Amino acid sequence: MTFSFNRQALLLRTDFSVAGASCFLSTNSEEVLQAAERWKKVQPRAQAKSFEMDIFVEAALDVEGMQRAHFRGLRHLVWVALPPRGLITYDLLRRRVRAVLTSRAAGDLAFWDSLLLPVTIGILGTTMGVAPLHCACLDRNGSALLVAGASGAGKSTLATALGKRGFAVVSDDWTYLTLGESGLIAHGLAAPIKLLPDTTRFFSELEKFALRMTLNGEEAYEVDARRELGFAVKEMTEPKWMFLLERSTARGCRMIPCRAEYVKGFFEQGAERLPEELPQAKVSRSKVIQKLSECPAWILHTGESPQATATAVDHFLAERQNEYA
Amino acid sequence: MSMHDSANYRDPLDVLRRFIPTPHRARYRIGPIRVVVETNDFTLLPGLPFDEAGTEMAEWTFEWKLVRDAEAVGTLDEPLSLTSGTLTIVYMGTACLLGLDHERRELLGFIGVEVGASTFQEYLLPILCRMSTEALGPHLLSSIPGAEERRVVDA
Repeated sequence: MTFSFNRQALLLRTDFSVAGASCFLSTNSEEVLQAAERWKKVQPRAQAKSFEMDIFVEAALDVEGMQRAHFRGLRHLVWVALPPRGLITYDLLRRRVRAVLTSRAAGDLAFWDSLLLPVTIGILGTTMGVAPLHCACLDRNGSALLVAGASGAGKSTLATALGKRGFAVVSDDWTYLTLGESGLIAHGLAAPIKLLPDTTRFFSELEKFALRMTLNGEEAYEVDARRELGFAVKEMTEPKWMFLLERSTARGCRMIPCRAEYVKGFFEQGAERLPEELPQAKVSRSKVIQKLSECPAWILHTGESPQATATAVDHFLAERQNEYA
Repeated sequence: MSMHDSANYRDPLDVLRRFIPTPHRARYRIGPIRVVVETNDFTLLPGLPFDEAGTEMAEWTFEWKLVRDAEAVGTLDEPLSLTSGTLTIVYMGTACLLGLDHERRELLGFIGVEVGASTFQEYLLPILCRMSTEALGPHLLSSIPGAEERRVVDA
């Protein structure tokens, strides 16, 4: 099967803003246009560059069975196979995305929110001045706190507990940062919150949801923060504070002030290796990390439940907010 | 073992496996094209005439980077091709991902661990050659002995 990506074949066009970047979309499918419609409501912030995304929808690919997600890249090319039967290729030098999707995936908003857009911005972001950073982001009265930590530290669980306390959720896992004249902006992509099965001991309401197989092959609850948990959700906010979350066996919650160099090292050392074909991408990501490291930061040692930790964080920030007011 | 140490390659900061070392290098000829191949598995070095030093200058040089992917299991699926002005992508399931950048004259690809040497030489290598020669355009293709005939047979 051959797909020729040209203007004659992909007659439907629109554009939208995602994570501060502009996407110029061409497709042969009305379903894709409709799925993109909701992203047109996101207020554009012209901080990042633009990219082209061409999507072919092919009904012949709608066959039984489901392929596993598979990611590979060499130099400036990236191949991504996504379930159920999609293939997406990324040309990082020219900022072009070419995708062939099943009609089932094309109009599925969950596919867009959980896979297509996070994967696209995750792969292409650094070429456009968007730094994907592995941290949760929550907004408190217009100011944001970022929660970083090693995998399994409890970022999503704490984000859920903070969401229940009235913090607006921007993201629970990956946050996309841009740096403009007005400073840093943190963007979320409305991706569902991912919580591991044992989280039900803290949030029993999760039991009514079904466990799903996630991209990394583990079972988890994936719940929509606004629709299924009733949380406030924001698409973007301004980062003000940073917490590096560390689980502790000792009871209590301690906030230990953290130097800028430590925050910078944490993100730089955990960042994806980029190919030498993209020198500017690495530079722009480092600028974002440098700026982020200037925010007040603390190591958050906690041996408490997510709810108790969220309460401690809330009170701590209320005091900081009063100090700055 | 033919594959380089990359069978044990693990780098949590390289989830795309971009930086698997490819220490085997050789130069070949396809008509007027010089192909510089680098790979981590010498069974992926093509059975083509070598481009020996001292022979006439090649008019066009292509770079092929072929990575044997120890984590990609399974056999070849039916090819799915995506073509645009600058790129040709061929996808045969996780066992074979190919991408040709026409402007940069780079052919990049991952070949799964279950794709044998004979399948590579007899089935995939002609595809790689055809992708490279077609990237030169029809007016240049005619200068490559045998290339036109191959196109007719394929059609």
